[in-house]
Amino acid sequence: MNSTSSIPRLRWSKLSEWMHTFALGLWGALFLYYWRSGKLGLLIHPNYFGLSIGAGFVLLAISSFNIIRMAKQQRQTDAREQHQTLLPPLFMSGILLFAAVVGFLIAPKPFVSDTAIQRGLQDSAIVTRVRPQSFRVNRSSESRSLIDWIRTLDVYPEPDAYAGQKVSVDGFVVYTKNLPQGYLTLTRFVITCCAADVYPVGMPVKFTQPKSEVPADGWFKVQGKMITETLNGKRQAVIQANVIEPIPEPKNPYAY
Amino acid sequence: MSQFNSGFTLFLSLIVEAIPFLLLGVLVSSVLLLFVDEQRLIALMPKNPFLGALAGSLLGFLFPVCECGNVPVARRLLMQGVSVPVAIGFLLAAPTINPVVVWATWTAFRDQPEIVVLRVVFSLIISTTVACIFSIQKDMRPFLQPALSRWMPDVMVQPSLSDTPALLQTGTFLLGQPGQPIAFDAVAAAAVNRPRPKPNIPWKDRLPLLLENMVQELRELGGILVLGSLLAAIIQVAVPREWVLSIGQGPVTSVVAMLILGGVISICSTVDSFFALSFATTFTSGAILAFLVFGPIFDLKSLGLLLTIFRPRAMIYLVVLIVQLTLILTLSMNLHIS
Repeated sequence: MNSTSSIPRLRWSKLSEWMHTFALGLWGALFLYYWRSGKLGLLIHPNYFGLSIGAGFVLLAISSFNIIRMAKQQRQTDAREQHQTLLPPLFMSGILLFAAVVGFLIAPKPFVSDTAIQRGLQDSAIVTRVRPQSFRVNRSSESRSLIDWIRTLDVYPEPDAYAGQKVSVDGFVVYTKNLPQGYLTLTRFVITCCAADVYPVGMPVKFTQPKSEVPADGWFKVQGKMITETLNGKRQAVIQANVIEPIPEPKNPYAY
Repeated sequence: MSQFNSGFTLFLSLIVEAIPFLLLGVLVSSVLLLFVDEQRLIALMPKNPFLGALAGSLLGFLFPVCECGNVPVARRLLMQGVSVPVAIGFLLAAPTINPVVVWATWTAFRDQPEIVVLRVVFSLIISTTVACIFSIQKDMRPFLQPALSRWMPDVMVQPSLSDTPALLQTGTFLLGQPGQPIAFDAVAAAAVNRPRPKPNIPWKDRLPLLLENMVQELRELGGILVLGSLLAAIIQVAVPREWVLSIGQGPVTSVVAMLILGGVISICSTVDSFFALSFATTFTSGAILAFLVFGPIFDLKSLGLLLTIFRPRAMIYLVVLIVQLTLILTLSMNLHIS
């Protein structure tokens, strides 16, 4: 009785072992593929590229060694103590394998304006998460990036102090509900660790071009000057745009 | 479609960032399993209950295991005669207070170093407190599963026997010696638990064993990681932001919600900080901490494992104590600090 039921079980556990060994190798290959194709930058902060690339190589190595080990031990019946598991091993192996295959089939894409709004672009409280990491007063106003501007404003928020300064910044366009016609929010995502923690920062831009020339999610370079306006009852610095020109989407869309 | 895309990117990024740490955790725990002699460590543990609890809580620095690895280790420690506060302190603290987990938390919360520090401090407070409370119970056997308490050495069994005359004791005894009959259980346990040196496996054979153990753990933990990341991604993109904000911004509701999430999600402690990170913008810091402190100590996955050590009644005491302590600590943080 026992011996007949244990043979199929043994077969299932063999299958599951092959499956997840293959899945581990596939994950390793996926990590290296993201690295070579430049997609890793969409997912994590460049500081941690090394970790993920290293993990890719280690996974490939583990997978290959385990294939060799399993091939050698093929005829040996494995009666070793199994790990305590919450879900059946075959299910776990299946999930790992499936997720890796999907990772190869569907490419990760950068976040767009929906995510920016979902992640609280309209909440002013979010800005306080930006801790100035470098703060240089002497820099000419035109060389400040969008993030530099937001950090500067965070440290010294009086909008009149910046009125008339020249601005030249890049970002993508988001139309939020709390800004009237003729305004857009030029936005960048800031990343500290991985895409799970990206948060949007943006500045209101006043423009005169027809809205169809400045579509949502498009990337633009905005040149103009700082003015002070009252939007939603709040006095704030706004960019008055002279030129809005489309730019290609940067390979790494995040700011740091 | 854009929701699917951002959810998918989120899902992948969690995995890509978490797997290196998972690998590291699995590697270290497998190496320790095969190469470290626990007997020598046990001999060094202090006898005082408080110091024992503290030492046990800090043992994680030597055994960097997450909550899936610490239960087997705690079981082995108990069977080898380590005192109760040491074992419980280790059981509760090891998943959080270890170098791999601290590094991973630091990677995720570089922006908010207070989260990293408080995670360690809160875990240490909880594990030491609970271990001290449990140390009042001198004879732990009624709390433990019979399968385990049978093998516990006689150091712990003795106090309950010594008060009664030998004739009135129950159990199996060896007669024949002049004077005292010897309790058979104690002899058997002592025989089983006699300090054994690690079997001297040659290096050539240790490496395949190491590999096999790593692959086993990676399957289990990797599968959970994939499911956990999927859930996090779905919550992020599918649940309306107003809901999440209304729960996540309340000082009390946010903590309770994350406490429950931490208990359900069963994600490994080496990678749970990346999971928590995706909630960092919408939830209070106290809630994030509640998740990071409570999740590693107790969740659905470890429930089954913990029940291999404790009987259900003791398990309930343990969980109630931990929940209360986590609530007090994280709520006080929400209400007074931030």
